[in-house]
Amino acid sequence: MGFKKRGAAICLVVLLSFVLIGNWGCSFNKIADSDSVVIWHWMTDREDAFNTLAAKYEELTNTKIKFELFTPSDVYSQKIIASAQGKTLPDVFGILGKKRDAASFVKAGHVLDLTSYMNEDNDKWRSMIFDKALSLGEFKPGNVFGVSAGVYAVPIDLMNVQMVYNKSLLKKAGLDPNRPPQSWNQFIEYLKKLRANDIGGFASGWAETWLIDSFALNYAFNIMGEDKVMATIKGDASYNDADWIKVFKLFEEIRDVDGLVSGVVTMDNKYAEQLFSNEKAAFAYNGSWCVNVYKGMNPDLDYCAMMLPAVTRKNPMVIWGSAGAAFYVNKNSPKAEKAVEFLKWLTEEDQQVFLIEETVNLPSNKKSLTKIPKVLSQFADDLNSITHPNIWPYEESPRVTETFDKGIQSIIIGEKTAEEVAAEVARVKEKILAK
Amino acid sequence: MEKIKRILSEISIHFLPIIVAVSCIFPLLWMLSSALKTQQTVFKDMSLMPKVAHWENFIIAWGKGGFSMYFLNSVLYTVLVVVGIVLISSLAAFAFSRLDFPFKDFIFYVFLAAMMIPLPGSFVPLYVLLVKLGLANTRVGYCFSMINVGLSLSIYLLKTFFDKLPRDLEDAARIDGCGRIGIWWHVAFPLARPAIGVVTIYNTLNVWNEYILALIILQSKNLMPLQRGLMVFQGAHITEYPLLMAGITITIIPILIVYLFLQKFIIKGLTAGAVVG
Repeated sequence: MGFKKRGAAICLVVLLSFVLIGNWGCSFNKIADSDSVVIWHWMTDREDAFNTLAAKYEELTNTKIKFELFTPSDVYSQKIIASAQGKTLPDVFGILGKKRDAASFVKAGHVLDLTSYMNEDNDKWRSMIFDKALSLGEFKPGNVFGVSAGVYAVPIDLMNVQMVYNKSLLKKAGLDPNRPPQSWNQFIEYLKKLRANDIGGFASGWAETWLIDSFALNYAFNIMGEDKVMATIKGDASYNDADWIKVFKLFEEIRDVDGLVSGVVTMDNKYAEQLFSNEKAAFAYNGSWCVNVYKGMNPDLDYCAMMLPAVTRKNPMVIWGSAGAAFYVNKNSPKAEKAVEFLKWLTEEDQQVFLIEETVNLPSNKKSLTKIPKVLSQFADDLNSITHPNIWPYEESPRVTETFDKGIQSIIIGEKTAEEVAAEVARVKEKILAK
Repeated sequence: MEKIKRILSEISIHFLPIIVAVSCIFPLLWMLSSALKTQQTVFKDMSLMPKVAHWENFIIAWGKGGFSMYFLNSVLYTVLVVVGIVLISSLAAFAFSRLDFPFKDFIFYVFLAAMMIPLPGSFVPLYVLLVKLGLANTRVGYCFSMINVGLSLSIYLLKTFFDKLPRDLEDAARIDGCGRIGIWWHVAFPLARPAIGVVTIYNTLNVWNEYILALIILQSKNLMPLQRGLMVFQGAHITEYPLLMAGITITIIPILIVYLFLQKFIIKGLTAGAVVG
């Protein structure tokens, strides 16, 4: 009978353990904390700053704010989707991904429309925030997603993608470090000169296709104007058009002068950042977050940010930008009003200045711009030139975008010509339209 | 001449294992080396031995990552889940191997099919189920889910082992008065030690390194496993490499000890079919 006793004892221990941890666990089994406004986010670098602000807000208003960090961002996205299905979303949350992802949350009834709060007291809240930043979380009347018009997201900070240049390396190549290239042709001349002096030219993580996509589309806006780009996406113009071939030719040009650092199409952005911060490349195409990144990698790096050098003056140069962090309020939360009050407070000037100091990101509050570091202010100078696919009226098919980006990679490695890529993208687009 | 031949033979025998061993050890050395550098030197100093070793990175990583709490959680989850998997899978495998019941093969193949489903594919239904059972954001919910994740392969491994176990041993035990549970406990389980060793190592590694399911199921920071501590050092744009490497070094020490302790069972487990019983 000994084995029976031992077996029973083991089973009892295991059972007791589960009961114990079950009770232990169940004490936390409140998805929505009854006292606090719970905010889920994925931003490790802002965690400490958020917690400090939460403590300050509690002191001021007696309202508890609880930031919960879930990272990495791709798993965070899965968590948000699972929580929406399980109806356990927190009071405030961020939605990652494209605008259609946000649209599906709004349509499913998970997101509070903030328009009335924004418009209170003669647009007091709305007027504090950059229009472009706000438009990223706004759905216009008659939008393609079928979402009721309104503002649904509160941008906490901003980011945009521009060019940065190393002043010391320009000087070393005999170029004026205070006069970055003003036009595309001048940029190509700079790259030639850098090459002649055996200095790395242009680095960007073009293995991450969105970086190629944004770079190419910025130039498409410059060469043919926004209307024609939109007409192409809508299907009214062709990618085989001479203007699109001009866009693809830019990559041939930069390749032919050997202006790119080696391996750029297989390089992720972290490695490109490392190259630029180690002074192995004089130019880089990177987002405003890079100020913080370069500060960590090489605090002595002498560099500036600049607008992309335009090909033509016919149309304005644009840059990609979006909300670095944007929060949505859970429509079904009993603490929705408290959450809105906190988000209003978070976007006020003082809190935004604190966030800039702690996280070195661009603020969403217009008035906070005067208090940002020098390089960051150079990124901020061009905030009015921001564009982003999330605010365009039409959305390109992922298959077309993939052919477009991979085609550019092929041009860079000399596999295809601009004309071939243009024809290929046009073919894929026609197939999509035919469907 | 004979000596040269012997040396050449020795070199040819050991060359490949040495290369494999170096390629396995090098990343660990690189990790340790990076853990001793600063955020600036980690990108510039490519040497394995940093000029100034920053041992304090381990203390900072421990504190900043909140490892004390996560460490205890991970130990608890690993022990409970592995014990749960070993007990349930050995009982189930024994039943599949020795008992006759309706739809036995069908149920077994369902278990095998479960191995083919990628974990991310089951996140949403699993989470919704746990919410409905009131087990979301609980330790018990997470442990049950992890036991569920580890069962299929463990049952498959142990059933294969039990299938080859001579029935004479069971008959002898039965004559001695053992029932089915007694045979499992006194005969099958002890003889399956090599296979159980493999199941234990495999699942210990799996549970110790698991993070994604924990992130989906658990909300409270207090319930998170050790891997959550490492994520603190990885931002969307900035990664604190020295602290991350120091954190990873800390996290692999316990698993390394378990592995060294149980490694003999891996070889035994792999060759178990030949000597079973």
